[in-house]
Amino acid sequence: MSTVTGLLMAIAICGALLAVSLKNVLHAIFGLAITLLALAGLFMVLGSPFVAAMEVLIYVGGISVAMVFAVMLSTVVPKHAAETSLRKGAAALVALTFLLGVGAIVVGADLPSTSAPTLPAELWSVAHLGTALLDHYNLVFEVLSVVLLVAIIGAIVISRREEEHTES
Amino acid sequence: MKLEAFVLLSLVLFSAGLYAVIARRNLIAILIGVELMLNAVSLNFMAFNRFVALDPAVGQVVVLFIIGLAAAEVAIALSIILAVYRQRKQIDADQLDELKG
Repeated sequence: MSTVTGLLMAIAICGALLAVSLKNVLHAIFGLAITLLALAGLFMVLGSPFVAAMEVLIYVGGISVAMVFAVMLSTVVPKHAAETSLRKGAAALVALTFLLGVGAIVVGADLPSTSAPTLPAELWSVAHLGTALLDHYNLVFEVLSVVLLVAIIGAIVISRREEEHTES
Repeated sequence: MKLEAFVLLSLVLFSAGLYAVIARRNLIAILIGVELMLNAVSLNFMAFNRFVALDPAVGQVVVLFIIGLAAAEVAIALSIILAVYRQRKQIDADQLDELKG
């Protein structure tokens, strides 16, 4: 189990590095998809096959594919004059500072180093998750559905082609 | 399989996303960075949920909400990107500077 976890972590990091470094945006999206698949595997390791399935369905199946469509509809020549090496160096500096700073905090935080507790089957079941979602978190659930509806309507309105107003 | 390993992996993913958001100028590449950051946060929630939470439903519900919000965000972002592209035939973040004072 531990070998699988380590392998998935390595794949996730490689995919993320590909996603942020590749010039071609289409290739970067494939890197992102690799990371997302590895993360779904890690969710499985962390005891939640349901969330792993949602990750694959929505992120890999929905969001990545929508991004690929957007790339095909927009980017013709991926040429960005502003992506200078100075800018990349500054960004790498910021990201590395963040990584090292927060990494020092995490290492010094004395997180519990015990191995994971056992999974009580009834607490980790999808039935328990669904009950919590529709019982205690019902309001958030409903608000999220309204947000999704508004987002979809907004997306349609924004991306609709403006009709020519020739009359009047 | 320790909690610290998952938190550090999430930190690496978040830093990669941060780098992409700052360094890249293609709007879709910036969006990829944002997605990486969101997923890093999800992984953090799942790890703490597995190792220390009392009720394991809490972290999973939060991750599901993050996934749903990310879907809404991507729908809006991609439609904005397409609208920008239709107007100016390119999607470079540095060219969108009309509101600069």
